[in-house]
Amino acid sequence: MNAIHKLLLSTCLVSASLTAVQAQESPKEEDFFRILRVPAPEGTLLEVGGLTVLPNGDLGIGTRRGDVFLVENPTSRRPFFRKFASGLHEILGLAYKDGALYCAQRGELTKLIDNNKDGKADLLKTIFAWPLSGHYHEYSFGPKIAPDGTFFVSGNVAFGDEEWWAGESRVPWRGWVMHITEDGKMEPWATGVRSPCGLGMIDGELFYSDNQGDWIGSGGVWHLKKGAWVGHPAGLKWSGMANSPIKLTQQQLYAKIDPRKRRDEQGRAIKPENVADETAIPLYSLKDQFPELQLPAVWLPHGIFGISNSEIIPIPQGSFGPFSGQVLVGDQGQSKIMRVFMEKINGEYQGAAFDFRAGFQSGVLRMAFANDGSLFVGETNRGWGSAGEATEGLQRLVWNEKMPFEMKTVKAMPDGFEVEFTLPVDRKSAEDLASYSVSSFIYKYHPVYGSPPINRETNTIKGVKVSADGLKARVIVDNLRRYHIHEIRLDGLRSTDGSYSLVHPLAYYTLNNIPDGQKLAMSEVSTFSSEAKATEATSTAPAAPSATKKPATGAVKAGVKTGASARPGAPKGSAVAKAPTYEEVKGLLAKHTCLACHQANKRQVGPGYVEVAQRGYTNEQIVQLIYNPKPQNWPDYATEMPPMPQVPKADALKIAAWINSLAAEKR
Amino acid sequence: MSTKPAHILSRTVATGCWLLSIGLLSPMQMHAQTPTPLQTTISLNDLSAFRNPGGGSVGKNWQIASDATADLTKNNALTSKPGTGILINLPTDQQKANLLSVLEHGDIDFEVDYLMAKGSNSGIYLQGRYEIQLMDSWGQKTARIGDNGSIYQRWDDSRPEGQKGYEGHAARQNASKAPGLWQRLFISFQAPRFDANGRKIENAKIIRIDLNGVTIHENVELTGPTRGPLKNDEVARGPLLIQGDHGPVAFRTMRYTTYDKPRPELTNLSYSVYAGQFDKENALGQAPPESKGPSTRLTAGVTVNPNNFLIRYTGTLNIKEAGDYAFNVFGAGGYTALKINNKTVLPWSNSNRRQAATVSLAAGETPVELVYSKLMPRATASLGLSLQGSGLREFLIGDNLADGGFNNNGPILINAPTNTILRSFMDVPNENGQGRRMRVTHAISVGNADQLHYTYDLDNGYLVQVWRGQFLDATPMWNSRGDGSSRPTGMVQRMGVPKLMLNRLATTQTAWAADTSGSGFKPEGYALDENDLPTFLYTAFGASVQDVIRVLDNAGGVQRDLIITNPGANLYARLAEGSSIEALADGSYLIDGKSYYIRLNNAGAVKPLIRPAGNRQELLVPVSSGKISYSILF
Repeated sequence: MNAIHKLLLSTCLVSASLTAVQAQESPKEEDFFRILRVPAPEGTLLEVGGLTVLPNGDLGIGTRRGDVFLVENPTSRRPFFRKFASGLHEILGLAYKDGALYCAQRGELTKLIDNNKDGKADLLKTIFAWPLSGHYHEYSFGPKIAPDGTFFVSGNVAFGDEEWWAGESRVPWRGWVMHITEDGKMEPWATGVRSPCGLGMIDGELFYSDNQGDWIGSGGVWHLKKGAWVGHPAGLKWSGMANSPIKLTQQQLYAKIDPRKRRDEQGRAIKPENVADETAIPLYSLKDQFPELQLPAVWLPHGIFGISNSEIIPIPQGSFGPFSGQVLVGDQGQSKIMRVFMEKINGEYQGAAFDFRAGFQSGVLRMAFANDGSLFVGETNRGWGSAGEATEGLQRLVWNEKMPFEMKTVKAMPDGFEVEFTLPVDRKSAEDLASYSVSSFIYKYHPVYGSPPINRETNTIKGVKVSADGLKARVIVDNLRRYHIHEIRLDGLRSTDGSYSLVHPLAYYTLNNIPDGQKLAMSEVSTFSSEAKATEATSTAPAAPSATKKPATGAVKAGVKTGASARPGAPKGSAVAKAPTYEEVKGLLAKHTCLACHQANKRQVGPGYVEVAQRGYTNEQIVQLIYNPKPQNWPDYATEMPPMPQVPKADALKIAAWINSLAAEKR
Repeated sequence: MSTKPAHILSRTVATGCWLLSIGLLSPMQMHAQTPTPLQTTISLNDLSAFRNPGGGSVGKNWQIASDATADLTKNNALTSKPGTGILINLPTDQQKANLLSVLEHGDIDFEVDYLMAKGSNSGIYLQGRYEIQLMDSWGQKTARIGDNGSIYQRWDDSRPEGQKGYEGHAARQNASKAPGLWQRLFISFQAPRFDANGRKIENAKIIRIDLNGVTIHENVELTGPTRGPLKNDEVARGPLLIQGDHGPVAFRTMRYTTYDKPRPELTNLSYSVYAGQFDKENALGQAPPESKGPSTRLTAGVTVNPNNFLIRYTGTLNIKEAGDYAFNVFGAGGYTALKINNKTVLPWSNSNRRQAATVSLAAGETPVELVYSKLMPRATASLGLSLQGSGLREFLIGDNLADGGFNNNGPILINAPTNTILRSFMDVPNENGQGRRMRVTHAISVGNADQLHYTYDLDNGYLVQVWRGQFLDATPMWNSRGDGSSRPTGMVQRMGVPKLMLNRLATTQTAWAADTSGSGFKPEGYALDENDLPTFLYTAFGASVQDVIRVLDNAGGVQRDLIITNPGANLYARLAEGSSIEALADGSYLIDGKSYYIRLNNAGAVKPLIRPAGNRQELLVPVSSGKISYSILF
């Protein structure tokens, strides 16, 4: 059968299945937030590293290629691009203050001044230059401008020559955030950062995002107070310097936690791997011993809410309807944007993260709100790979003023959580305990790249109280655990209007503190659960999503390409057919976050499964590689795969069998 | 960004993982980048290696000397110093004979250093017939066929006026240096081939020419002798001819390797193809081949499978002359192995980084077995066997491997049609020129339409390098993750390891500081003028500095002006360092073994100081006047 026939056939199958489900479809994120292009002159390469909107509405863009563009009328059909500066060193941030642009280059904070007002910078003033060793990974991000007009800039760690897995700070102040004044004075502000690509000023306070890596179990959003240490040991190398606000030393840290710097008999350094059956040390457990330690305000679970978190930006008043005042966090690898709601409990930020909008053409690195309330999204993925396959992009996200059915906020309560909705909930579903499920987990703090979720426990739902207006559900949750990430699934909830399910029924709440206060009495809550009466499958499955739109997630993408329909000729009962089909494993791939980085046929962040299949591993070997990946086998890929021992063996074997079935298919 | 360090690549290679971008370099490319040291040196202690074209003794214009110095202001002025080691041509109206080598050569790699007088013209005729032009092309923006390093045109008197000169091949760029500076020319030449009846069956060919480290020709066919040959015929072997009648020129370190041995032939080939993934040597087992048969040539094309196959070739190598032969096998995206005489010569491994293995072979027929297992889907299946030996230039039997890899991104080249600035990391050789290069982390390169460019170190106020020709290759910075660096693509003159340009010295014996500590050095950035040309700004030692570097009008170099406010006492500028610094009569200086000139523009105002620095020398000037102006000519 030739390719066209196959294509036609699978298209027919898809449309046939469409009609079947159309009746129940719930709106999806693209039904509320549209991604538009920002027309740029042909040949303009916009590997965006910096993005800022000027007071007059012009858009400033800084690119990896070292150009700075100023775009007039950027939300119009014909924006006017002007090259303001060029030749700068891999710009990864852009900001505007008092008539001038500021950008972080690899090695300095630069002020770009147009003295003669001809639309081109004529003075490229070095505000502050910091040392570099010249390692490729020594990227520098920023600046973000504090209310007092001072600047924050952050710097990536380098990696070891031999210990290529170990982030290291070869020169001051790599692995730090620097605080710099207009007249070029620098004070080291905070350390423990590894790859601090996303800085954000929220209500005048500095926040930053990091991604999974050595010592960093998962990405997240940290509140970055002066003198904070957020977990990576590299920057502590300079805590002895006179101007360091942090006195904690690597020695003090390593006395409490083993950095596992071992050598084999030949004297070669051994890469630390995940230890499956150990008493794991989570980051929070060090808090008592090291008061400098600042935990993430909000963890963004790796593979679910991004794999390489980037810009943090507050949603201004008047933008994006119910979400104004909340925070957006970009992600490069998954080409998407998450939403974060934070609250202050016992003086510290914490809160919930939600998916917001996926489907951008390249990796989401930078965001800036336009004066019309829409959001510019600056994108690049070069060398890292991303779900959006383009290497560069500038797009714009526009709300169509329709109200999505979403969790607006999740707030911690003394006895559980209170979920606020954007639209009234269907009372029947909301008062049904089976509509809710909560479990909690945390990550390891260890020198290994990333961490599996550990210490997962189920949290029983004891009762729910739905507000009279149907906009709030307060849930009593058993077994709340401080510091843990609470996974909150509201698959069974329906809206009053249209009986739709939530656009995003999943939230992760980082419970650094459990608030004091009034607990609910059991007398005032519903304890009804339909679970006893119906099977789990029917009661908790989300309403079927719309399939009319172009699939936006990796999961659907992979499905289109490798679903059973893609090889209709495969004989039933043959050896090949014994392996699970894509349909049979796609739930597992999604559940275990495999699809965050892999597609079936294509390279994304990691290799396509077909390529894995062609390595000729046994199923058992693949399972072992899921548990302890060997990134050295894939030098062609920038991002390491984290160990995933949390995947149950039966699931892993099934996935492995499916992967191996692809080898035969491809050949 | 979640990341894995780029140098995982080298580590992985070390542990023998085959995944490393196999096929990135074809063997021919690898060979091209590192010419093997040439084996025979022509002595320039006397003229015994040379003869006169018409017979008799070598022309009196050809002399042996110890040094040669040109005059930048005077055409055809070249003075020599008595001694040995240098061959110099000082023609007069009467004495202007050409020079022939005693050596008669066919295929040859030839390398020579030479130095031109201002306005001078010479040439090296391979086999006395194909001229590589030597010319003072200083300041030329682009190279024409009469310029330095170009292949000169052919000539036919029977053609109409204006069309008598034809063909010729201009150098890709003008990679020349100024008169009086040593330049290096490397030529890889393949002689014409003739059949048994003496009929030419293959044109002569320039395989490659590098001028001052820049490749200016590759694979240029020579259809016949260029103008003014020794004879107008073509031959299998002939002498080198050096033109002596056009102008003064000096030569040193002439070296060559000739290639006279016949190529062994691989015949009697047959293949077996096995389907599957074979990532271990013995994984094949007893499986029957998918297909097999004879093959007229070595190729991966005996299977249509793009991936997951193993090909085993057997054949006969016909060695025509006994000797040592070095073998390598290249298979894109997989493993290869080679047996000769039933003995393993190249064990099963990723062939990409493997060293060639040398085997002593007798004349006659030798059985060969070659295995290629392809596993990497992104690589294009291709297979080749390379062979070289004493008197045998490396050659490849098999597929053209140029597209065998999967690094499909083209080079990211940056031209400078207008004044163009690019910041990047810039790697320069370290102090002793060996080992790991040093990385200038705050480098800024400035390109110019006059094809004269420079790199400045913003960390030290130091001029790192100047170069002529094409501007930059930013592939290392912008392809994939990149490593933040770019590299010059023209003829580069380095200025040594970057150090502070200015320094306060307690005495003139105080060593120049190795770094900026204690200097208060603070970069202030740069201002752009109306032509987008930068003035670099910094403060150091309490002084503010404006540093202006501009291309000279004749594009012969750059002029640098430093304006230092509040210089204070004992502040010095270090203008140059090198293995040697020669003061010339006109007040200029020849730096680092005649690599470039420095000329002070306000020579009266300052007293330069040449002083030793270890086993090298430094040129310092005091900056108490607050102004320094000098030119770098190269």
